[in-house]
Amino acid sequence: MADISEDRTTLINVVKALGEYLTSEESDTLQKGVELLALIVARSPKEKLNRQSARVLTSFFVGKLDDTATIKPALAGIASVALLPLLTPAEVTSIVEGLFQHVKMKAIVQDVRFKVFSIIDSLMAYHRGVLKSMGTRFITGYISLAEGEKDPRNLMVAFAIARVILIEFDFPAHVESMFNTLFCYFPITFRPPPNDKYGITTEDLRMALRGCLGATPAFGPLAIPVFLEKISAGSRATKKDTLQTISACLPVYGSALARVSARKLWNALKLEIFQPVDAETEEEALKTTQVLVKTIYLDEEAAVEQNEDVQGLARDACEECINILKEPEKSQARPATKILCAFMSTTPSVARYTISQAVPHLCRLFHNPDEISSRPATLVLLADLISAARDSMLPEKVQAAEADLPLAPYKDEVLGVFSVGLTSAITRSMALAGLKAIASTRGLLSDDELGFIVHNVDQIIEGNPSEFVDQSILDVLSSISEYAPRFVAEQTLPLLFSSLPDQAPSRQSVSERTKIWQTLNALKNLCIQQELFESLVIRLTTKLDLLCFPASEQAQVVARDTEPSAAYAHMILKTLAQALVTKVKKEHLDIPKYIDRLVPSIFNLFVASEYLSSEKVMIATEPRLIEIAAEIITLVVQSLPVQRQRSYIIGLSKAITTGNFKDIGQGFQRIGNDRELPIFNPSGVPRQRNLVVLLAACVISLHKEVRLVLENLANFLDMLLNWVLDIADNDLQRYSALHIVASTLNKQANELDSFLADKLDVYWSTFILNSNLPKERRIWAIKSWIWISKALLVRKHPLALTFTERLYDAFGDESIGWEASKAVGEIVSADAILTKANHAEIKVLFVQKYVGAILPSLIRFAKNSDESSRQTASLVALTSMIRFIPRAAYAHQMPLLIPLLLRGLDLPDADIRSNVIDTFLAAAEGESPGKSLISEHSVTLVNSMLKNSKVGEMTSTKVRVAALRYLAVLPNIVRYDVLHPYKATVLRELATVLDDPKRSVRKEAVDARTNWWDASVFRSLMVLIYFRFKYKG
Amino acid sequence: MPGEIFNPNPVVFSAPKARQSDLLAHSLWINDASASEDEADEFEAIDQDEIFDLIRSIYDPEHPNTLEELRVVSAPQVTVGANHIKVEFTPTVPHCGMSTLIGLCIRVRLLRSLPERFKVDIFVQPGSHQSENAVNKQLNDKERVAAALENPVLLDTVEQCLANVGARGTLV
Repeated sequence: MADISEDRTTLINVVKALGEYLTSEESDTLQKGVELLALIVARSPKEKLNRQSARVLTSFFVGKLDDTATIKPALAGIASVALLPLLTPAEVTSIVEGLFQHVKMKAIVQDVRFKVFSIIDSLMAYHRGVLKSMGTRFITGYISLAEGEKDPRNLMVAFAIARVILIEFDFPAHVESMFNTLFCYFPITFRPPPNDKYGITTEDLRMALRGCLGATPAFGPLAIPVFLEKISAGSRATKKDTLQTISACLPVYGSALARVSARKLWNALKLEIFQPVDAETEEEALKTTQVLVKTIYLDEEAAVEQNEDVQGLARDACEECINILKEPEKSQARPATKILCAFMSTTPSVARYTISQAVPHLCRLFHNPDEISSRPATLVLLADLISAARDSMLPEKVQAAEADLPLAPYKDEVLGVFSVGLTSAITRSMALAGLKAIASTRGLLSDDELGFIVHNVDQIIEGNPSEFVDQSILDVLSSISEYAPRFVAEQTLPLLFSSLPDQAPSRQSVSERTKIWQTLNALKNLCIQQELFESLVIRLTTKLDLLCFPASEQAQVVARDTEPSAAYAHMILKTLAQALVTKVKKEHLDIPKYIDRLVPSIFNLFVASEYLSSEKVMIATEPRLIEIAAEIITLVVQSLPVQRQRSYIIGLSKAITTGNFKDIGQGFQRIGNDRELPIFNPSGVPRQRNLVVLLAACVISLHKEVRLVLENLANFLDMLLNWVLDIADNDLQRYSALHIVASTLNKQANELDSFLADKLDVYWSTFILNSNLPKERRIWAIKSWIWISKALLVRKHPLALTFTERLYDAFGDESIGWEASKAVGEIVSADAILTKANHAEIKVLFVQKYVGAILPSLIRFAKNSDESSRQTASLVALTSMIRFIPRAAYAHQMPLLIPLLLRGLDLPDADIRSNVIDTFLAAAEGESPGKSLISEHSVTLVNSMLKNSKVGEMTSTKVRVAALRYLAVLPNIVRYDVLHPYKATVLRELATVLDDPKRSVRKEAVDARTNWWDASVFRSLMVLIYFRFKYKG
Repeated sequence: MPGEIFNPNPVVFSAPKARQSDLLAHSLWINDASASEDEADEFEAIDQDEIFDLIRSIYDPEHPNTLEELRVVSAPQVTVGANHIKVEFTPTVPHCGMSTLIGLCIRVRLLRSLPERFKVDIFVQPGSHQSENAVNKQLNDKERVAAALENPVLLDTVEQCLANVGARGTLV
């Protein structure tokens, strides 16, 4: 072989050497000879075969086709030769003739037939002209070859060949026979066998066949009756396939045919739409209807100028639907509207016609006094229609002139209907939906009309303030505010702001408070657009200032009960924060500018409140307010570019190091130039230290390149860690300090090597292992340890695992062992501090790395450890970790984990139990009765879950809910014959759980019990079959 | 399914979304996490919304719509006493032959999902059915209900109506 490639010998020599084998009379020998030659030809480099040898080989192999013994190798030989571009027409013809004459397709097996198809396929690729010139001869020959083929692999090739023939060849005489060979396969019902090595799916075959069916207009008249028959007679899958095929073929078959068969097709489609088997079929039928209408009307589009010109199907169908719409409240009206909506996105003329028919009809119906009861339904349909009209416009011409919109002539009428609809409570929500659709149609409404809508909607808000929590009102307003914020800003906002009082309502006035919250809620949803948000910020910060620094007579009232005022301020801050979150999600570009407007006034407010708090009661010292304010600050600071953060950082560093907030806290209240709030100084006032939360909010969202102005970073972090243990007075302060440490460490770890080494050597032994210290202090040292490890882990720092593994040493400790083991899990938990949004350095797959290192050692400890406290600790660590990691990370360890997790269910801690059950639930996702890992443990599981689901034995609602969820899942993942012995017990025990004091528990109990009721051998079998299909089919 | 269709084109209503009683919940502070409430020791009694949740997603035997969508059942039609529950339902047409079956579905669902201490009465909304008394009698007679559930064909139909009953109105 290598010899031929390298020119040391030629094919001629091979043939000579093979001599007697190739001419032998004995079929065995002959077969071997031909086979060898075919193999050699197949492996020879193409350029070594010249025209001469190609001719010889062709005639030789063709000559061997008539012998059953040599047909297989001969075909293999031809298959290689057919790939040669240098074959002359004569050889091509002789190959084809040879195939047609000698090959009896019925007599040979499928992979030999595959060779035949590949030969024709290659010839089709390289010598199409020759085949074309053979004309009729080729087509009849091919039809007889391809007829009756069943093997999916061969069919794929055959369909590809057929498509070329249909598109390129001239075959008027053979339309019918081609049609018959192809349409006998339609629809494809083939289901791939298990372990199909060729990997041909039903979908592949469908697509290939669809390509053939839709290859030529000539099939049209023959195909339509077949389609019609299949739609009405077929199963769901057939229906869907047929509908899709019609959609694909109709445009090819052409408008003339579509027009002729429109009525029949429409009748069939109508049935699918009005009495759908399922939603999917209905949707396909609608799509097909669209295609049908498009095909019919697209080419005469230009000719249609008047609505009256729309004739035929669209007209009839429209009339039919509108007839049905005479009773808009009936169930048939929905599909009728769907059809009309589908017409909207066909051709402009049809859309225009549909609207001209349907919209006035619905409007008339609405105004008809006899039909008042069906007004809501009428409005729903009208709203649907208008949104369909809007959606059909979107892609092509967004800026369409008003005259082009099909809805334009009727807009006054429609607007009138919806305005009337607004006035009655029953029809309001539908009218609002309609107004939203009409308002969001670009270019349809003039400014005045938009103003009119806003005015109308405002009237509802004024009229009954309790009701405007309704999302649909907000929807209308916000869709208008997107491109015409002026109206909302001028008309609606003043209305809303004026309903917010300057002082908080008293503790008892619940309704007033609810109203405030609803107003704020509305504002939060409405004021997202740039201008509106700006006015929201201005109005709300003013309001906050009034609240937090009340005039002296008011201050007396506030001082008596500060909580309502604080709660009101909290609502306002929350509104700002939530509006900001929405803006961040929408990636608005105006957020950074609030570093100069919103953030300083927040600092101002809280710092000034701290100054004054020594003299009188201030509401802004409430930690909950500080927390939410910190959220706002983080959102703004993280949106700043590096440059802006750099300039901001100067004032921030000053506040951190000296406690002077002058530079970052300018606002309504005066902050003295040299007054300082020494937060990190032990001499400071405990309350003032809460401000660390606001500072942390800034620091955690800094870019890596932006660094605090400090003398020494490591000393600063050390100071913070000590501050956490010695000075800070509450958890809020401690966590904030730890957030600063973690965030800074994560971003600047490269320069902090000695800091880290010191922590490993000194901090660990002095503060954590040292059992002389009080327990509380050691626990906080562990929490600090968690945050240090987290900061390192997310950036895959080499020391991250060393830090975690240190925790193993504390597992045996009596007082802090439990905390230490939980810490192992918490290190890998997700948090809101070290995130991409906060510009933290995060590497991919850090969780997987962590689990890969930690999980095996935990399993080892839990199984082998001698001390029981250490065993329990590893179990705790395991269960707390497993909650935070994706299933894929531990799935392969599942068989080892299950016994350990079952032991975890006996631990007293409710959190751990619910973690364990959640883990089982997560693991259940991939299970099926066929292969279930937990099947053998089902007794233990059932008993333990029943125990955990009873209020008498388990006080935590969370655990009860989780246990019941797992019980509900069990019948789906374990074979019924395993579960059968417990069915009666479970049903009986669950009957008592149905009386649980908690609603959420009862709900799960009902579901679990229903699942166990349904569980039976039959069902289990069905689930099994379902999984077979899912994984193999 | 029986051959005769009693109401071929019923009125469909869109289902409201949230629990009525949830909308009224409020406190001094606005909190977005409701998890903490779950752990509170408060006793939540079974109320009409909860019963309605149990039966709203039962399918009508004639149509692919739920009882809620057809306004056959609604929350105000449920009355809850200490150990007593009364459910009224409204057939879509007064001559509806499916009423007994609908009532049976409701009974089976409640039988399986409520603690045993409850006595459940199921009635047709007064004046909404031409043979009101007969239906009521049949639905509240223990023996007859038990007998009906012995019939495998009937039980199968009931199971079909209960197929998606866990949706509780989340699927609209």
